[in-house]
Amino acid sequence: MDTNIKFNTKNLDLFYGDFQALKSINMEIREKEVTAFIGPSGCGKSTFLRCLNRMNDLIDSVKINGEILFDGKDINGPIDVINLRTRVGMVFQKPNPFPMSIYENIAYGPKCQGMKDKNQLDALVKESLTKAALWDEVKDRLNKSALGLSGGQQQRLCIARTIAMNPEVILMDEPTSALDPIATAKIEDLMSSLKKDYTIIIVTHSMQQAGRISDKTAFFLMGEVIEFNETPIIFTNPHDKRTEDYITGRFG
Amino acid sequence: MGRTAKDSLVKGIIYLATGITLSVLLSIVGFIFVKGISLVNWDFLTRDYNEKVVYAFMESGDVPLSIDEENLNNKQPYDQRYETLLEGPIYVENIGAAISKVSYKNHSTEREQIVISYIEKDSPLNGAIDSTGKAIIIGTDYILQSINGTDFSDMTLEEVSKTISAESGELKIKVVQPGGGIKSNIITTLYMVLLSLIVALPLGIFGAIYLTEYAKPGRLVNAIRFAAECLAGIPSIIFGLFGMAFFVVAMNLQISLISGSLTVAIILLPVIIRSTEEALKTVPMAFREGSLALGATKLQTIFKVVLPCAVPGIATAVLLSIGRVVGESAALLLTAGTVAQIPGTLFSPGSTLTVQAYYVAKEEGNIELACAIGIVIIVIVIVLNILSRITSDKLDVFNKK
Repeated sequence: MDTNIKFNTKNLDLFYGDFQALKSINMEIREKEVTAFIGPSGCGKSTFLRCLNRMNDLIDSVKINGEILFDGKDINGPIDVINLRTRVGMVFQKPNPFPMSIYENIAYGPKCQGMKDKNQLDALVKESLTKAALWDEVKDRLNKSALGLSGGQQQRLCIARTIAMNPEVILMDEPTSALDPIATAKIEDLMSSLKKDYTIIIVTHSMQQAGRISDKTAFFLMGEVIEFNETPIIFTNPHDKRTEDYITGRFG
Repeated sequence: MGRTAKDSLVKGIIYLATGITLSVLLSIVGFIFVKGISLVNWDFLTRDYNEKVVYAFMESGDVPLSIDEENLNNKQPYDQRYETLLEGPIYVENIGAAISKVSYKNHSTEREQIVISYIEKDSPLNGAIDSTGKAIIIGTDYILQSINGTDFSDMTLEEVSKTISAESGELKIKVVQPGGGIKSNIITTLYMVLLSLIVALPLGIFGAIYLTEYAKPGRLVNAIRFAAECLAGIPSIIFGLFGMAFFVVAMNLQISLISGSLTVAIILLPVIIRSTEEALKTVPMAFREGSLALGATKLQTIFKVVLPCAVPGIATAVLLSIGRVVGESAALLLTAGTVAQIPGTLFSPGSTLTVQAYYVAKEEGNIELACAIGIVIIVIVIVLNILSRITSDKLDVFNKK
């Protein structure tokens, strides 16, 4: 088995009640690469992303068939979900910092895992904020509420919060869709620098973004993966007619 | 009718309705204030309702009067609502105090009595102890009834002062602490608020957490919610009857503070559950997702993220609850009793302000006193309102930037 493969899904089906949102997804996601999911709204890309750290557990009507192997182990089997989520972090579409201080936002995850030592936490907060390129902007106001930050800063704070857990994979669900172009550029830079330490999977509506930052791109349509390949191939020489139609803007 | 005419007609009705509502409210509060305000003073708030007989022991002294005669005559600290001066004052040196004779008259009693109208700073009265050796406070307006066994009734003020002056050495004085105050009712009310919240708040909050965070939406949840809503609509006398049958009789807690507060806690539960539920529902789903995605457990998510966000809503629930307890009378009448005393233990009876207002109005026919209590209740409610608003603003995590 290829040890570089982080996630491997086999015949993954997902139903919301009677509606089938994902149809037989087979995908291999490699370590320390940026994988982008593109596709029109409602095509199942976010749903698929949320399968990878079992966020769909929060929705009662969801039923899943097939396998999602994470480091070779099926995450829908009898595993510790809490442990999975510490290893597979997630950043959401809308920045969702908790209504606490900036410091507490970062320290929240580690504290929930039982880290109590103040010095250790201080160091971790600094390290995470530095990695998320936010330290210089907030170092003087760590004890102020995170809600006072701008949208872009809030989103980088959420990334820092995820990094603080030292995950192996970071899932990003349209992380820049609520941000202006400057904030978006900052986050994209951040993603390229994070790539060397983390496996990043990003859902995006912006094809330019996928083209700029990702190594692999998957095109989703109506719950199916139409094409999954190296990003340059998807954007310059797609094998499927539907992929070509989508990226050239003929629909979607 | 033209459209403009219709508009102004409707507008008129709206103004009229608002005006009527406002004037009814103002006239009720105004009535209460006009009727009761003359009775509200410091003594009213700090005295017990019942008179209390105390035996005071002291060493007789020899304290000269330090103020001039005219000044002494102006000292009229007695309760002018009920007392009119008949004779005096006369200063008696060996107790270092001036005494007067007054006639006392309220709606049910009429009598003449000797009262203390002025006390010197070095007076032996200030060092008085009771039979157990505990210091007791004797103030002006206290009634003197006897000294070393000689009773003062049927004596003139002159005779009384001579009798006291004739004594020396160890003095044993029988004094009556004047009543008519509502200290015990205020304290009982505070106890009741505290105890019922201690019981009802955790129960209500945990119930609301179950309903919003754990229960799968369905029949059971709807049934619980429906039950809570029905509970909120049931008149409190019904709860009073239940409390009387269950806590007072079946559990043998007697008519007591604990029976009363448990009964009120049941009345509070639906209020707390419903407002906490509303508060929890307004916490964005994104916070829960964010927390869970960081590997927090559900319990950690609820207690560290969701509940703190809901605090302003819960503070509102507390305010509503306090208002409910302060305003509750029917249920407490049956479970906590009408004894105007500070409850010594959880198992002693005591009457809250509203019960006392009912009691003096209905049993003693003293509307003025009931109105005076009403003023105190209104002030307490207003103060609580302001306090709760301040705390809920302070605790609101979304306001801190």
